[in-house]
Amino acid sequence: MTQHVYRHGLLMIMPLALLAGSATALGADQDQLERGAYIARTADCTACHTTDEDKPFAGGLAMPTPMGDIYSTNITPDPDTGIGGYSLEEFTRVLREGVARDGHRLYPAMPYTAYTKMPDEDIQALYTWFQEGVEPVHQENRESDIPWPLNMRWPLAVWNWAFVDTGAYEPRDDKSDEWNRGAYLVQGPTHCGTCHTPRGLAMQEKASDDTGKGFLSGADLGGWHAFNITSDHNSGIGGWSDDEVFSYLKTGAAHGKGQAAGPMGEAVEHSLRYMSDEDIRAIVTYLRDVPAVNDGDEMPRYGHEGQGSDASRLRGQDSSDGQHTGENATDGAALYLGNCATCHQADGSGSPDGYYPSLVHNSVVGTSHSDNLTQVILNGVHRANNDGEIFMPAFRDQLSDEQISALASYVQTQFGDPDAKGVDVGRVKEIRDDTP
Amino acid sequence: MAREHEDLQADVVIVGSGVAGALIAHQMSMAGKSVIMLEAGPRRPRWQIVENFRNAPDKMDFQAPYPSTEYAPHPQFSPDNGYLIQKGEQAYDAQYLRVVGGTTWHWAASTWRYLPQDFELKSRYGVGRDWPISYDDLEHYYQWAEEELGVWGPSDEELGSPRSKPYPMAPLPLSYNESTVKTRLNDNGFYVVTEPVARNSRPYDQRPTCCGNNNCMPICPIGAMYNGIFHVEKAEKAGARLIPEAVVYRVEAGEGGRITAVHYKDPQGNDYRVEGRYFVLAANGIETPKLMQISTSDAFPDGIGNSSGMVGRNLMDHPGTGISFLASEPLWPGRGPQEMTSVVGWRDGDFRSEYAGKKLHQSNVSRVDQMADQILSADGLLTGPALDERIRDRASRYVQFDCFHELLPHPENRIRPSATHRDALGIPKPEFHYAIDDYVRKSAVHTREAYGRIAELMGGTEISYSDDFANNQHICGTVIMGDDPSTAVVDGDCRCFDHDNLFLATSGTMPTVGTVNCTLTVAALALRISDTLKREV
Repeated sequence: MTQHVYRHGLLMIMPLALLAGSATALGADQDQLERGAYIARTADCTACHTTDEDKPFAGGLAMPTPMGDIYSTNITPDPDTGIGGYSLEEFTRVLREGVARDGHRLYPAMPYTAYTKMPDEDIQALYTWFQEGVEPVHQENRESDIPWPLNMRWPLAVWNWAFVDTGAYEPRDDKSDEWNRGAYLVQGPTHCGTCHTPRGLAMQEKASDDTGKGFLSGADLGGWHAFNITSDHNSGIGGWSDDEVFSYLKTGAAHGKGQAAGPMGEAVEHSLRYMSDEDIRAIVTYLRDVPAVNDGDEMPRYGHEGQGSDASRLRGQDSSDGQHTGENATDGAALYLGNCATCHQADGSGSPDGYYPSLVHNSVVGTSHSDNLTQVILNGVHRANNDGEIFMPAFRDQLSDEQISALASYVQTQFGDPDAKGVDVGRVKEIRDDTP
Repeated sequence: MAREHEDLQADVVIVGSGVAGALIAHQMSMAGKSVIMLEAGPRRPRWQIVENFRNAPDKMDFQAPYPSTEYAPHPQFSPDNGYLIQKGEQAYDAQYLRVVGGTTWHWAASTWRYLPQDFELKSRYGVGRDWPISYDDLEHYYQWAEEELGVWGPSDEELGSPRSKPYPMAPLPLSYNESTVKTRLNDNGFYVVTEPVARNSRPYDQRPTCCGNNNCMPICPIGAMYNGIFHVEKAEKAGARLIPEAVVYRVEAGEGGRITAVHYKDPQGNDYRVEGRYFVLAANGIETPKLMQISTSDAFPDGIGNSSGMVGRNLMDHPGTGISFLASEPLWPGRGPQEMTSVVGWRDGDFRSEYAGKKLHQSNVSRVDQMADQILSADGLLTGPALDERIRDRASRYVQFDCFHELLPHPENRIRPSATHRDALGIPKPEFHYAIDDYVRKSAVHTREAYGRIAELMGGTEISYSDDFANNQHICGTVIMGDDPSTAVVDGDCRCFDHDNLFLATSGTMPTVGTVNCTLTVAALALRISDTLKREV
């Protein structure tokens, strides 16, 4: 059903409006603007290009690279500082090849390696929307902090030649329309692989689609672990039901499996929750078919049963007892009961409606990749979905590195894998220092 | 001999780290001024207070999760630590905290604005005093305070205090208990409204939504309810320096009465001297006048700011009476916060020339453990399902109302430093001379009739009145605000008449106690002080 969306997309963007004379002043019809806006949501352009909510798409987000910070650019239609002067061909070249109007090459932090899969008609709709649906903001772009000679960009041409498979998505005849739509969305605009596919020595994604080895098999990025989301039962999401994957993508939560925070929470908040149910289902269908990659896990991350509550052990303590409740206490059970159990419950079961997630049967708790758990305790969760806001307070100002290490280790062993190796205090400090 | 420390000086020195002091510290730090906040008590992490509460045998003892320290004692009642010395016919058994963040750790979070009439009690009704400022002077600061603290309030009910903007948040839905009783009373001539409170109904200011733990007092375990500690932390992030366990015992005045320094002791008794350009005393309505009265010198023999003799006098509170009964139907108090509604029809009226205005409020505290205690004391042999059924029946039908009566300012109601009782650091304990006036007693007779009518409307049985004029921790009048330096301690800007660079940020400045919780007004006055300081410092 969905394959026709871009095959027939031609129909949508054939400038019917122009012919019919029912266009806006600049010639875009409402359908095309809406389509462009939808694609911009799908591609989550705002994630990197909006730093100030009052100036959408004006750029300026710092993105750390090993060589120095680079900054996202102004993609509002301002003619001087934005992309107001871009022709459709120039705009297309940015998305397809990563080459700007003046000929300089973009760093692949801009996922043109994925956007290249967009068909011409989608690029045109996106172009129309950026030119006519976005308010121009005059804001100069910021030079990267990368020093000479590393800031020379010509080697990127070589990088592109070696690693980028330029060109629009080619539907596979042996797969359903839904599968093809999902494949296009995952490989293209939603650019899942940017985080979920491991990178090679040259920082290239090791695979750009399901035919490559390791596609979507998980990676560490920016202090978070983007999980293996291949179809493997234990290491990936093969054990999740279709409805669970759908719910996770649409709302950020799948009870008994996991909840989105950090960059994935942002992807849900800014992008996925706005996508049509049909498109989300197409993504689910495709993900089901991504070749399994097993990392040696003997059970799924969410499979652990939990060890129950320690509340009775700590009740009736003298309240002046410094070992358990002193300011510097590092008894994980006491820290858990005092800081977390009010919402997540003493036995980790959360609330019946799942607003406060169960920590038992929870991917983030049950994995040996502990960064996400540490991140959430340090910096909290704040994610909007279509029903409201999901919020967990940050504990970085309430607890020391030692306490967060003790608490996270307790949560891991009590509600996840009892043999987990725990969370290293040094790693807590690193993540604290790397996050605002 | 006081230790001189080069770093112990700041543009603004603030004594006390409760909501008032912390708001000012935050504002002045953001304005680029150097700020030192001195707090007598220790820093206590929330999670530790939560665990103390869970381990405490008496859940209704709101002081218990905050152990008093030797060096900066605060009142403890089970057992009584003897910190408050009572000399009057009525005990003033205030429950305040000396801890970083102050007493809003265990408040009800009720954030009412006063009525415009509350500022004009004398000229309208011939009793009490007028404020030197009007409601209109404070409206902007009320709004600002509501935004700082994060207040929810009703948009469709008239509360009598005109607003320039809506409340920052909409209220959570009322509990079944409160919505049932509210409807019944409003159908029968009462005026019951949803109470404005500093509690989140959505994520606000990096704090979560209230999830109804129903122990707002003594501790909100998740920080959905506002506590002063939030502005302490904001102030520190903005650059303010907090020194906990710094017990200020002397305010020092120099040339022309300007304050030059405050002196504090650490828990070991070592002395420190802190210099500043401007000083704010924000150590509540008891410790502030105590500190001022013990800061005597040749130039100020009656203490700091006390040329009027009014420091420590005009002590007010909201003497409360109550009723409890079992309703004829289950109401299940205990879902949601501890209190969400108030009866406000008697906050104002011509009767105020004769007797006290007041606010009544229904409790929504879970009564399961209290009922279980009562039942087991009465019948220790009851066990199993019969016991459960008994607890369920009584806890679900229990109704309690309490109230605030407006006491008038009387100079003979006072707090002063004890001449005979001192704490571990040798600092005098607070001594109270306090009595309930006829203005309140007369009103309480009417209140009892209203309570009786409520019980009747709810089919109440086992009706029990409490007529003890309970203290409600709204400590007003003790460093009173006014126009006339001979009868007041501070002017309308909360600046001491005797000391140009000394401001008092406490409910003690309030010339009338009104009929509602005073914290929002304290916060508004504090923000108003910060505006004055920004112009001068």
